[in-house]
Amino acid sequence: MNGETLLKVSHIDVFHGSFQALWDVSLSVESGEIVAIIGANGSGKSTLMEAISGLMHPARGSIEFEGHAISSLEPFQIVVRGISLMPEGGRIFPDLTVLENLKIGSYNRKARSESAENLQRVYELFPVLQARKTQPARTLSGGEKQMLALGRSLMSDPKLVLLDEMSLGLAPRLVNDLYVALREIRARGITVLFVEQNVRRSLAEADRAYIMETGRIVLSGRVEDLREEEKVKKAYFGT
Amino acid sequence: MRPLAELATPVMMGILLGGLYATIALGLSLVFGVVNEINIAHGDLVILGSYFGYVASTALGIDPILSLIIGAPLFFALGFAIQKYLLNRAFRISMDATLIIAFGISIILENTYQLIWTPLSRGLTTSYSVESFDVGTIHVPLVYLLDLVVAIVVMFCLHQFLRRTYLGTAIRAAAQDWKVAQLMGINTNRVYALTFGIATALASISGVFLGLTFPFTPVSGMSFLIIALGVIVLGGLGSIAGTFVAGIAFGLAQTVGGYFFGVAAQMLVAYTMVLVVLAVIPKGIFGR
Amino acid sequence: MVARPRLQGRLAPLSAVVVILALLPVIGAPRLWLLYLFLFFIYLALANMWNLLAGYSGLISLCPAAFVGLAGYTMAILTWFGWPYYVGIILGSIAAALFAALISVPAFRLRGIYFAIGTLVVPEILRYVFIIWVPVGKPVYGGGAGYTVKGVSDVASAQTYWLALAVAVASVVLMRYILRSKFGSGLAAIRDNDVTAAYSGINVFKLKLYSFVVAAFISGLAGTVFYVYQGYIEPASAFSVQWLIVIMLATVIGGEGTEEGPLVGSVIVVFLYFLLARYAQISLIIQGVILVVIMLAAPQGIIGFIRKARRRRSLA
Repeated sequence: MNGETLLKVSHIDVFHGSFQALWDVSLSVESGEIVAIIGANGSGKSTLMEAISGLMHPARGSIEFEGHAISSLEPFQIVVRGISLMPEGGRIFPDLTVLENLKIGSYNRKARSESAENLQRVYELFPVLQARKTQPARTLSGGEKQMLALGRSLMSDPKLVLLDEMSLGLAPRLVNDLYVALREIRARGITVLFVEQNVRRSLAEADRAYIMETGRIVLSGRVEDLREEEKVKKAYFGT
Repeated sequence: MRPLAELATPVMMGILLGGLYATIALGLSLVFGVVNEINIAHGDLVILGSYFGYVASTALGIDPILSLIIGAPLFFALGFAIQKYLLNRAFRISMDATLIIAFGISIILENTYQLIWTPLSRGLTTSYSVESFDVGTIHVPLVYLLDLVVAIVVMFCLHQFLRRTYLGTAIRAAAQDWKVAQLMGINTNRVYALTFGIATALASISGVFLGLTFPFTPVSGMSFLIIALGVIVLGGLGSIAGTFVAGIAFGLAQTVGGYFFGVAAQMLVAYTMVLVVLAVIPKGIFGR
Repeated sequence: MVARPRLQGRLAPLSAVVVILALLPVIGAPRLWLLYLFLFFIYLALANMWNLLAGYSGLISLCPAAFVGLAGYTMAILTWFGWPYYVGIILGSIAAALFAALISVPAFRLRGIYFAIGTLVVPEILRYVFIIWVPVGKPVYGGGAGYTVKGVSDVASAQTYWLALAVAVASVVLMRYILRSKFGSGLAAIRDNDVTAAYSGINVFKLKLYSFVVAAFISGLAGTVFYVYQGYIEPASAFSVQWLIVIMLATVIGGEGTEEGPLVGSVIVVFLYFLLARYAQISLIIQGVILVVIMLAAPQGIIGFIRKARRRRSLA
């Protein structure tokens, strides 16, 4: 952990057509951290992920990565700079094989030279992917698909990985496996920003967290402090 | 009622002709599967290929098939430019916009042909285009066999490209989920332009073989477009094998239909089949 | 806008214009003017109907030629059986409307692009049908059922002019009425998203059917009047894609989905016709170029462009 600001989102507004999904959202992520974004459905978490990864563009405000403005860049340009998004639901390519899914993750020029090594590292993380590498991705189970999606997002040699609800719909044991993998990812020097609905899980795995409601950040801080916050206790732990 | 024993000839011809239809439809299928747009100008681009071969053989004395060595890359560039500068922009406006712009391109092409080459029907004639050979009692023009051979070769090459190259995999990924493909670092706009370029190059190849097989006029594009549309709907999007089988189905429909109902009714049979296919199979045989 | 459909609003000046147009043949306006106006009326009616389908109902129909040709042929064949042409005009248009009703059942099951493909094939099939099948008389030179329209050689061109004017006015009035009625708002909902429209209780199929049938009928009227004027009909031009090109151009230039769009567009198209009359082939190429340029530069057409500019100015 070297404490440099990797990602800085400043006062962004994002619209879906005429509907405003994000209001004056600001956050920052430092190199080496694991940061959580917590919120219920419709709180704007996914929109935030899409804005950072370039799938959407903020109408106001700015997004900076390693000091460079990226809010007007196209997604494929942002990937090259080192941000990788694992979208909600994984969204693996169903008719490509497991191996093809992983390889396409390193499509961008910068990642291609490291492709073989990255592939090995992903196999170490998720051996089942190596076992099923020639199978079409749609034949995988739900948990395996999420592993594939996560592995695929690592193939682009990212500095920052964005995970949008990677545990959605999965059994607790599989969720555990994924979060173990998350810690392993951080150990490899990759910064993580993840989105979760489960408050307890988020506060257990992250260093810092932001809490979102209806498109706004309502609370943020180190997880130790958040756990003590009255609002958090009442709203999410029911005490 | 014509004797059934003579059916062998139209059946053979239909299968071979199906190869031509498959090649024509391949480019259309590729664009529809990857970019999700129906290029109404595809038929006219095929005819452009026919005219290209025509100019090569009559004005320059080059064999039309050989001329494709220069022609196919040229057509690739043309297709790339059309998608990049016109259709990608149309996409951002609306789906209807792409349809209308493709239609505009079709108008421009057809009337340019009329202007340059007059409405007279043309054909590509070479030393081998009038040759034929016998299979048992069946008398088959050589070019029909070439049509089938070229279809198989082209499909094999395309299949290998899509399976074995990074770009090919990227194209397949973009076809399955264009949003997530971008997250992989794939510049989808550029992939679309490349795909359209490939499709146009395929159009030029099928155009030359079309010109060797049939006479063509400036407005022939529409007829072949309609059949190609039937082929891709029947064969299912994104399936090369399906396109091949569907192409043969349409080839057979035309020749066998012509055998039973007369030459004038050939196209009518084929068109009716297109409508039936549309009504019955929105997803196609092998489609996803 | 669900109140009783109102026909007022700019009614006075519009009626004045119609009266003036109607008087032109009487006061001895040049024949060329009358010809171009005649074409303008025909194109306006057809463009309005295409706009009804594509701009308001979400149905990009590529088969206006089918309605025009079918109505025209019905009328022409009826004249061979001794029926007067004006009966043929009505019956021909009804035939076109029935045809539309018939094909709508399978056609509306097709979504978006498949619908466009289907409608693309229909005129081509009809063209082949009339090349092969010669209902009365003998095939003309070159093949196909080409007919002179009987009993119209002594019809004054002023009469066909007035008929065309009547059809054009009818199409404008009809559009005005539809757009301000419940039917119109139903169509708007369908155009935006027909799945959600269905969920809010709109009978999507019924409304689309009405649009399609109405469009076919009026297109049939325009087509039959045209063929009464021209005096003969044959398959190649009756079902030609030319009809679609002209109509699409007029609607798109003027502004698809706007009420005045087809009017403005038809004026421009006929004007282009006039300008480029000597350069037949190039004029078509230019039309294609214009279509592409307009869709890229001003997809809302002229009317849409003006509206946007006005809105921007009022916000500034």
